[in-house]
Amino acid sequence: MSVPRGAVHAKWIVGKVIGTKMQKTAKVRVTRLVLDPYLLKFFNKRKTYFAHDPLQQCVVGDIVLLKALPERRSKHVKHELAEIVFKVGNVIDPITGKPCAGTRFLENLSDSENLTEADTTYLSEKLQELKVCQTDK
Amino acid sequence: GRFPVRRTLQYLSQGDVVFKSSVKVMTVNYNTAGELSEGARKFVFFNIPQIQYKNPWVQIMLFRNMTPSPFLRFYLDNGEQVLVDVEDKTNKEITEHVKKILGKSKETLEKEERERKKLSHPATFGPKKYHLRECMCEIEGQVPCPAFVPLPKEMRGKYKAAMKNEA
Repeated sequence: MSVPRGAVHAKWIVGKVIGTKMQKTAKVRVTRLVLDPYLLKFFNKRKTYFAHDPLQQCVVGDIVLLKALPERRSKHVKHELAEIVFKVGNVIDPITGKPCAGTRFLENLSDSENLTEADTTYLSEKLQELKVCQTDK
Repeated sequence: GRFPVRRTLQYLSQGDVVFKSSVKVMTVNYNTAGELSEGARKFVFFNIPQIQYKNPWVQIMLFRNMTPSPFLRFYLDNGEQVLVDVEDKTNKEITEHVKKILGKSKETLEKEERERKKLSHPATFGPKKYHLRECMCEIEGQVPCPAFVPLPKEMRGKYKAAMKNEA
């Protein structure tokens, strides 16, 4: 078989989701580094691909791995969602497996070690106030 | 820019990491601050142009300040993903490591070079695009081009025809 998989040149692709307004389809922007022949510098060249997303689990801003479909699903959709690499707002560091944001791990924030005594008393007061409000209602 | 050497063709062609044909996407996550990421930053600054020049069909994506630890991730054709931790490594170590895991070996590269040489025959003449030389006059020791040095009388068609007519 001359074309076992992918009627498209690009078999696997990593891109960022731009739009999810279509039903079960995600619009993904893919950037490749292209050499400018005169400046001899690499610039990002963008291209948008449409990907089939049956469970509609993509949000705008996710980094996503697309896989080429064996044949075209519709006029523009030639890829499907293989895996969400980084979910926006919920990035998991693949080396340690912990959630992180920017250059800090998110786990540590919930530890009470960083909170001073004043903080804990303040927080507990606030909680009591809330409980009182709730009982009033 | 800071290191304009990076933008010369000679520097770009000096890159020795040629990926195997199964590597499709390379993703680099690194941080713009912090000593651990220093090697990764140097790798991105110096070596990524070389890699992209040698592998124009591999998609390379760079992500900054997304995770605390820097790493490289390769997506292969069979669905496999290769995660390479790059924390606390110099940029040379990273290139060596990548070359060892996913680069074509020297023997395969030499083989491909020989295959390419076989296709074009160096002893033929023609347009610059397909052959090395255009005319025999370019070679030293051969008759120089009559455009620059007039041919001796005996070789000129005019003289030869005149001699023939006489005889």
